[in-house]
Amino acid sequence: SVLSTDPEKPASKDSAPEGAAKRQEDGAETPKQRLLDIIGNMKVEVSYRKKLQQLKASENQKQAINKLEGLDSEGSVPQGITEDTQRGKPLNPELVKAASAVASSLPRDKKQTESELLAQLRRHEETTDKQKKGGTINICNVISEMTVKRQSLAQRGARISGRISLHLDEDGQRIRPERSSAQSIDSRSLKVGKRLNIFTKASTEPEHALKTVSSPTIWDLEFAKEVAAVTAQPPRNGFEEMIQWTKEGILWEFPIDNEVGMEDDAEFHEHIFLEKHLEDFPKEGPIRHFMELVICGLSKNPYLSVKQKVEHIEWFQKYFEEKKELLQEI
Amino acid sequence: MAAGALCWALRAARQVLPSPCPRQVRSYYVDWRMLRDVKRRKVAFEHADERLRINAIRKNSILPRELQEAADKDIAALPRDSCPVRIRNRCVLTSRSRGVKRRWRLSRIVFRHFADHAQMSGVQRAMW
Repeated sequence: SVLSTDPEKPASKDSAPEGAAKRQEDGAETPKQRLLDIIGNMKVEVSYRKKLQQLKASENQKQAINKLEGLDSEGSVPQGITEDTQRGKPLNPELVKAASAVASSLPRDKKQTESELLAQLRRHEETTDKQKKGGTINICNVISEMTVKRQSLAQRGARISGRISLHLDEDGQRIRPERSSAQSIDSRSLKVGKRLNIFTKASTEPEHALKTVSSPTIWDLEFAKEVAAVTAQPPRNGFEEMIQWTKEGILWEFPIDNEVGMEDDAEFHEHIFLEKHLEDFPKEGPIRHFMELVICGLSKNPYLSVKQKVEHIEWFQKYFEEKKELLQEI
Repeated sequence: MAAGALCWALRAARQVLPSPCPRQVRSYYVDWRMLRDVKRRKVAFEHADERLRINAIRKNSILPRELQEAADKDIAALPRDSCPVRIRNRCVLTSRSRGVKRRWRLSRIVFRHFADHAQMSGVQRAMW
């Protein structure tokens, strides 16, 4: 392929005017950058179009000459075109041919440079299309809502001194900056203005979550175990050791919450007024007397949950029912 | 059956996953007496509520005596290890039954050893 492309070089040199010569003169310093800049400016410079048309004419001639030989560098041009059509956004064929010409004019790997140039062109096309549709973020829209905040020297001094001040001075120093921030928030509410569409809405997929929960295979567990074993490095310092202990449950979480593990959602009246559970007991007699004492004691107990108290009462009920025959003898 | 296998696998994973870091893990109790003490504590915990309730029936003057005697028989039928009186606060490290300080659960010898090596937080040699 190297031998076959040699006759192309002089031909391209002759056909491509100053531009190609410039490129080669720059040499291998930053040829790719220059090329990218040129391609980026292609749409702006109208005069360059004539040169491209000349290139196109020369390329057509080359294609006619080398069609039978089926060279890789030339074959990639129709391939590139088909790729573009497949993608749905056909690049300007003139640009494509210009890119191929440029690639062929360089002494380096032609296929690679050509593909890179085509990728660049595609990206340019995409951005221009987006901008035409208005999908990209316009900085004008973003900045329109913002206003420049002018910090007075006094405020700045207050802030700096506020940071350095002692704990005693906090209340005095921090009221002023709080006021200014509150004012700035009040003047403009959060929901006013055009939507900027910077963030995409995260789509919720409950079905996928269900799938993963219902089938954790043993291989998945093994993998999870392996990953945990590898990632769990021994702690580097005391802080990490304490973190590990907290995760394992050896160390309590600070600040200490006295009601950890105690999730009593019941109201006070459920703790105190337990007479409704006494409905199955006889209304009179020593058993009722006994159970009322039990209820009195339970209502004063702050350490048991309502469930536990109800369990106590139910156990007594069961016990007395079992002993009913004995009681009836009395 | 699949659910059972899954549960077993999850339980196994939970046991293995939290302890990958190499640390001294105590896999044996110090001696058999300590093991028996541990068993007694477990059984006592299981039957604690029942014992409390049956004792509440036994130790009051309101209920008839026959009922109380029946309760006596019931509590005697519970396993012997379920009574908390059988639990002995042994030293956690040496299983020494005497000379154990309740706050640290250690025997006096182990306590002295750690305190002298400054491994007991807030413990200092007394001097006055």
